[in-house]
Amino acid sequence: MQIILTYLIPILGSTVYMATPLIFAGVGGAFSVRGGVMALGLESMLMCGAFCGVAGSFYTGSTAVGFLCGILGGTLIALLHAILCVRYRVNQVISGVGLNLLATAATTLMMQVIWNNKGSSEMVASVESMIGGPIPILNVQSFNFFVMLAVVALGWVTLFRTRYGLRLRMVGENPKAASAVGLRVHALKYSGVLICGALAGYGGAFLSLDQLNMFVRGMTAGRGYIAVAIVILGRYNPVNIVACALLFGFCDAVQIYLQGQGVPAQLIQMLPYLVTLIVLAVGVKRIQPPAGVGKHETD
Amino acid sequence: MKTSAKRILPRLWQSMERGGITISLAALLISLVCSAVILAVCGYDPLEAYAAIVTGAFGSQRGFAQMLTQATPLIFTGLAFTFAKKASLINLGVEGQMYMGALGAALVGTLDLGLPSLLHVLAAMLSGVIFGAAYGAVIGILKVKFGSNEVVAGVMLNSIATYIVGYLLNGPLLAAGSSVAQTEKVLTTAQLPRIFARYQVTVAIFIAIAACILIKWFIGKTTLGYEIRCVGLNRKAAETAGIRIGKALIVAMCVSGGIAGLAGVNQVLGVDRRLINSFSPGYGFNGIAVAALAADDPIGVIFAGVICGILRAGAMELNRTTGIPVEFVDVIQAMIVIFVSAPLLIKKLAKVRDVFPGGKKHAAAKEA
Amino acid sequence: MNVVEMRHITKNFGHVTALNDVDFTVAQGEIHSLLGENGAGKSTLMNILYGMIPPTGGEIRINGDPVVIRHPAQAIQMGIGMVHQHFMLTPVMTVTENIIVGSEPVKGPFVDYRLAAKRVQEMIDRYGFGIDAGAKVQTLSVGEQQRVEILKALYKGAQLLILDEPTAVLTPQEVDELFNVLRELKAAGKSIIIITHKLKETAAIADRVSVLRGGVMVDAGLDASRCSISDLALMMVGRRVDLTFTRRSEAAGEAAYEVRHLNLNVRNVPVLRDISLQLHKGQILGIAGIEGNGQTELIEALTGLCRPDSMELYKDGKPLHGTASDFLRAGVGHIPEDRLERGLITPMSIEDNMILGYHNRSVFEQHGVRKSAGIRAFASEKLQEYDIKAESVLAPCSALSGGNQQKVIIARVFSEDPDVLIAAQPTRGVDVGAQEFIHNRLLDLRDEGKAVLLISADLDEVRRLSDRIAVIYGGRIVAESEHDVWDEMELGLLMTGGGKGGEPA
Repeated sequence: MQIILTYLIPILGSTVYMATPLIFAGVGGAFSVRGGVMALGLESMLMCGAFCGVAGSFYTGSTAVGFLCGILGGTLIALLHAILCVRYRVNQVISGVGLNLLATAATTLMMQVIWNNKGSSEMVASVESMIGGPIPILNVQSFNFFVMLAVVALGWVTLFRTRYGLRLRMVGENPKAASAVGLRVHALKYSGVLICGALAGYGGAFLSLDQLNMFVRGMTAGRGYIAVAIVILGRYNPVNIVACALLFGFCDAVQIYLQGQGVPAQLIQMLPYLVTLIVLAVGVKRIQPPAGVGKHETD
Repeated sequence: MKTSAKRILPRLWQSMERGGITISLAALLISLVCSAVILAVCGYDPLEAYAAIVTGAFGSQRGFAQMLTQATPLIFTGLAFTFAKKASLINLGVEGQMYMGALGAALVGTLDLGLPSLLHVLAAMLSGVIFGAAYGAVIGILKVKFGSNEVVAGVMLNSIATYIVGYLLNGPLLAAGSSVAQTEKVLTTAQLPRIFARYQVTVAIFIAIAACILIKWFIGKTTLGYEIRCVGLNRKAAETAGIRIGKALIVAMCVSGGIAGLAGVNQVLGVDRRLINSFSPGYGFNGIAVAALAADDPIGVIFAGVICGILRAGAMELNRTTGIPVEFVDVIQAMIVIFVSAPLLIKKLAKVRDVFPGGKKHAAAKEA
Repeated sequence: MNVVEMRHITKNFGHVTALNDVDFTVAQGEIHSLLGENGAGKSTLMNILYGMIPPTGGEIRINGDPVVIRHPAQAIQMGIGMVHQHFMLTPVMTVTENIIVGSEPVKGPFVDYRLAAKRVQEMIDRYGFGIDAGAKVQTLSVGEQQRVEILKALYKGAQLLILDEPTAVLTPQEVDELFNVLRELKAAGKSIIIITHKLKETAAIADRVSVLRGGVMVDAGLDASRCSISDLALMMVGRRVDLTFTRRSEAAGEAAYEVRHLNLNVRNVPVLRDISLQLHKGQILGIAGIEGNGQTELIEALTGLCRPDSMELYKDGKPLHGTASDFLRAGVGHIPEDRLERGLITPMSIEDNMILGYHNRSVFEQHGVRKSAGIRAFASEKLQEYDIKAESVLAPCSALSGGNQQKVIIARVFSEDPDVLIAAQPTRGVDVGAQEFIHNRLLDLRDEGKAVLLISADLDEVRRLSDRIAVIYGGRIVAESEHDVWDEMELGLLMTGGGKGGEPA
């Protein structure tokens, strides 16, 4: 019993904490893919969100402004992605990968310009955690825990119960049909990608402001790609995405705890990526993405 | 000036319709222009910056050698990405395959087998290619047997490879008495000869060029190359024609991984003469830019690799003289990737630039 | 009063003139047939009316008022509804969701699904469509899906319905049902335009007829009851068309290709049930059936593209199994159903496509290296022989017209001199000239003593070419006999599972 309390509960708390940026990115990704645009640019949206969050907090001293800037950063790069994919019909994989490269390079460049340091930024204001509260698991969380819950709930309701969600899904399934019925296909696709950017941007800001209090070069470390896997495994449904994200968050949390136990660091750090790979191999087979992903209303 | 532009432009559109070199060059040009704008916004002088890049690459013997040194791995990774693309596979795992190839080369290169020089080098190279090919095959198998998304698989395998190599270099393979994570020095019999005694560029540059020519021949003139192209362009039609899809995809990933492995081989046997942890400043991902610039053509990869080599070598000079960080070149390369895949966007932008027929020069002349 | 008046409509796609100064008028409350061959411009004209493409010139009046229609949303607002040939439905969503999207009943930002379902069910009951509003579209039959499309248009308040080739996918019985529905709608005051190339149906349902040929309106607003079918055919095609048929096989030889007890289940649903067929030398066996009754899977099983749960397959008396390439090597030729999907790799050159599937032959390859000269010579020869209109063998297949693309496939398959030919939809989407060419080549092949299996959704094509006809329904061969045992109505009945057949399978 002692063991459970000492180890399990902190790990579970840590799980939720580590899963949070993945959940934000995952729900955002669900919106993008449901609208018919692949979400391979999630890494860039997380990265921009993380960077802009720190930059905003640095210049104003306020984490709230930081989070807002994070949303803005993610949305801006999502706008680029949307313009390229929807307006100019760029191959969505290339656009995503290219923007990921751009984000990595640009943020490093900006770090040099602002802080004269390519490795990391300066420390910024921190977000308070809720230690001392009644529920032990929540000890490691901050107010963002509730933001995350709200995002998941709102995300699900929006996609499956609102008029907007129905239209977005229609565009993602069959853009030709949607256009023939009079829907504004471009506008809806853009909206899906922009929402993705906003949410992933917030998730990135969470990564830099809530977890680390600074921006570190390449800090998203492939989380954007893990989020892509989560979106697929979660069948593009916010509720399932949470479950998948928790799995990876668990790996992340376990990895940190095991590092102190004498197992070689590198092999443990591999864990989240290995698990992603295995789950991708074993779990993905029967999942159908929306039929209209990558298609346009005129061909 | 304007009238001649009016006559050239329609012909430009026509050749852009056919894709290929025109798009690549246009994308390069536009990326350079956009990057110049970014530089200006950040407070630097774009003309000074580009001049520094060119002098860096060609201004001295050291610079020229550096340019070739940088171009070599880029040609390999660009070729690896290009080959996989023929099968319609996006091989983002090039970085990981390169590390595995380096590992393979280091394992054989540091072993005293009593072999004469040529054989030892070949054995180490072969080892590197096999390691890279096997690691690439993992992605192929995941795709064929499980239908996995190869992009995500590639990125995951990159990280896994980095950690595996990191673990080995800090543990079992660590050079005796070394504080840095690296292997023993590669035996002289296994080292790739250098072209100039003082600089790091090796004969690998010739191997790279030969590889590009060989791959071009393979794709166009062999049945296997033909089948891979068919699978890449229309999988169902290839299946109906009796072509084995799984075999084509896995072969494509093996070859791609093997080529990527050669980049690692070059680093271990030629440049560093040992396997150093995290030796790659992103050669794998920069290979995507090289492939994009090359318009998916193996021979084009040679030229694209050289151009990116110029950018990288020049960037080091750039950093010395102007203080602009080396990552600036990454920005240019990322933009190239994006613009190459957006011909419609280029046309749109070119129409805007129509107003300034000379481009940057015209704008500069207006200011002067 | 005229519901629609289109005047001097012209449409250019680059250098190609699709419509040339076309006038088209539809009166209130009539059923008007817009007749023409494939490629005559009928769909283009209606797409302009529905706002999907803009006209290059001309004007449109709705109920007398001049209008500009730039988007389907505007057309819908004006009371125009269109049911496309290729349905624009989302299979994974329900009937209700498919119908309401774009004009959903709402409560704030939320969709009022209960109200929506109620309204949809009301309409279904009113017109007697007989579908379940809550069913997912992918579970409906083709005829039912078409009714969902019609409902979609009606739900959005259409007063004018445009139906694009509505009977292409229906059996004769379903066509009758559709026509009853159309008469109901006409009685309710709707106006209907039917785009079609089927003369008999025009005669059966239309009040007036307009004929398009090569982008030009040959004759408009004719009284349907006063036109004869052959007159209409003459106007459509520009020459007398012989609609009866000629060449039958002299004598059938022994069984060249035989399949027995072919069974295939897909996800626990039986798709092919205990099928047995025999193809004889010098004979064409035609399989008639509505698309979706197992034809695709049958073709795949007979060409090595899938592995059925059970099958005994014999070629010239010897068992045959393996992969697609084994079948090709054994002399089984395959003209795929969908040339763009399975038949050709359109970005590749004509010569590369000409050897596809046969690229391992020693003429084209040695030790893994391609013989460019041999390939080029072969392709050039075929270009001439099959009258394929192209710049050169190096041009990509995407530059060819549908008919010429199909000819590339025919050239490729026929050059291999297969003993058995599985020909699926050989003239789908092909212009009349190429169609005759291909039909003649198929008959030539048969006369040389080969065995041919013809699978086509075009009943006329099956009846024209086949020496024997079999009917497939629900994955079973429900009847098989000589070609002239059944007439069209009886065939239609068999194709939908009713009536008595010849020899049951």
